[in-house]
Amino acid sequence: MTVVTEEAKAKRPRNSSSRSWTRLLPYLFIGPAMLYIAVFVMIPLGRGVQLSFTDTKLINPQGGELVGVENYAELLTSERFWNSFVVTVSYTAAIVIFSLILGTLSAVLINRSFRGRALARALLTFPYATPNVAVALIFLWMYNQSSGIFNESLAVLGIGEVGWLGDPDYGLFSVVLATLWKVTPFVMLVVLAALQSVPDELYEASRVDGADVLSTFRAIVLPHLMPTIRVVALLMTIWSIRRFEIIYLLTGGGPVETTNVLVINIYQQAFQSQKLGMAAAIGVLGLLLSLIVTVVFFIVDRRASLAESQ
Amino acid sequence: MKKIRKVVAILASRLVLVGFLLVSAFPIYWMFNTSLASDAELFGTGQDFAPHLERVGEVPQKLEDVGILGLLANSAFIATGVTVLSFLLAVMAAYALSRFKFHGKGLSGFVLFSTQMMPEALLVVPLFALFATFGLLNSLTGLVLANTAFSMPVAVFIIKTAIDKIPYEIEESARVDGCSPAGQLGMIVVPLVLPSLAAAAVINFFDGWNEFLFANTFIRQQELWPASVGLAQFMGQYSTPLSTVMAAALLFTLPAIVFFLLVQRQIVSGLTAGAVKG
Repeated sequence: MTVVTEEAKAKRPRNSSSRSWTRLLPYLFIGPAMLYIAVFVMIPLGRGVQLSFTDTKLINPQGGELVGVENYAELLTSERFWNSFVVTVSYTAAIVIFSLILGTLSAVLINRSFRGRALARALLTFPYATPNVAVALIFLWMYNQSSGIFNESLAVLGIGEVGWLGDPDYGLFSVVLATLWKVTPFVMLVVLAALQSVPDELYEASRVDGADVLSTFRAIVLPHLMPTIRVVALLMTIWSIRRFEIIYLLTGGGPVETTNVLVINIYQQAFQSQKLGMAAAIGVLGLLLSLIVTVVFFIVDRRASLAESQ
Repeated sequence: MKKIRKVVAILASRLVLVGFLLVSAFPIYWMFNTSLASDAELFGTGQDFAPHLERVGEVPQKLEDVGILGLLANSAFIATGVTVLSFLLAVMAAYALSRFKFHGKGLSGFVLFSTQMMPEALLVVPLFALFATFGLLNSLTGLVLANTAFSMPVAVFIIKTAIDKIPYEIEESARVDGCSPAGQLGMIVVPLVLPSLAAAAVINFFDGWNEFLFANTFIRQQELWPASVGLAQFMGQYSTPLSTVMAAALLFTLPAIVFFLLVQRQIVSGLTAGAVKG
């Protein structure tokens, strides 16, 4: 298809007036979107970076003074910041690893045809369509210490109350669990789409060879899925680094800051401590983290696709 | 021996699948169940596992008490605005990325993708200042503008992937017949990628429907709260019964689920293919 398209393009008449017009054309189409992103993302981002070098306070947003790298210096020696950093990385790692494993597993389970498959797939995607605030509300209730279903069920088994959201040992676990419920179906849907593009002959060939299910999966299906899985891993990572609502509403960063991810930390610095400059500095560092992950991803992805194509 | 192993494997995989199904469905079921429970049951005698269907008749009154229709109307306004604005910008941008070679194409793609890693919390403060200058705080229009910046790029990826798949020859012959580029896009390309446009529209609609952070910081007037902010507030104040909050949350969730199921296939192919190509 690509070849034909190139040929069709080559057939275009090339007189000079149409050439300058054609050269301008793509910018007319992409211009509005780019202008929009410039005004509502890039310029505010620039302003955010600028704020991060000032001591601006919320009560007087125009009145901050330049303080150089002071905010960054303070952050890099602050225990609270490093705690946020570690929590963000742990949270992200847990989400990426478990959503990929569980999502791939459920995609594989639902890939074969059986009665009620459409219904099963619909049920499995419900969580992804549930709005974040609704996810947070229902999990808040299920995690409720004295009356929630989790502790009531444990009580039936004779196990005492667990402070799902109040105990520092469980806070991050509970937040990860609620997030996984919401995001795993996304992995499942994407992996399922990739699974359906595995050619049947590949399965046939391995069946003839007498390979069992697991080794077929490892030798044939998994390599086919890898490019997709890498992209999903990237999306899951950058989305997890910036996820806000579920964590904010479930724990607000507590207990004892065990779920205080960078994004919550930004919000607290800006709207509770009223330090806009400091909040912006955390935001810039968080963005850097995402950028580094993305760059590493593209390098790894290029190498891996080269290796796979050999 | 081999046969037994096979049967065990099939049974085990069925069992795991049933487990997944229960875990997925349970919280939604529990939302429904809680919306029909009384406070005494919820916080005293214990919540019954079967729903009290006889109380369904009380639900409309409860929902009216918290003014859910006003909240949902605000959410619908934001979501519709985000959808329309994103759609206009994204169709044109996707067309440019799919059909033309131009300087800065790679950069444009990266800029669009980079919006997906921006922490909104970082942009809240500068946007707050920007909106204050233009009188956009405390306005639903402001929320539409802020959310479109993050939703529109996703629509670009979905639509671009769809346009990539249709052959150029049809546009080429229309061009030879004297059809303008805008005409080619509007009359040939758009009708051919309708399913993906629908998917992009649904995704954008639910980005707007989901919106919380900007509304939570920019909106001071209660009448302008979207449902997300309203629900979070009800949960915090103990004057609203839990069953009412859950009924409202369920009403907020159902449209999202129904629409999502209708277009999930297009959403998935658009998102992945778009992301693969950056």
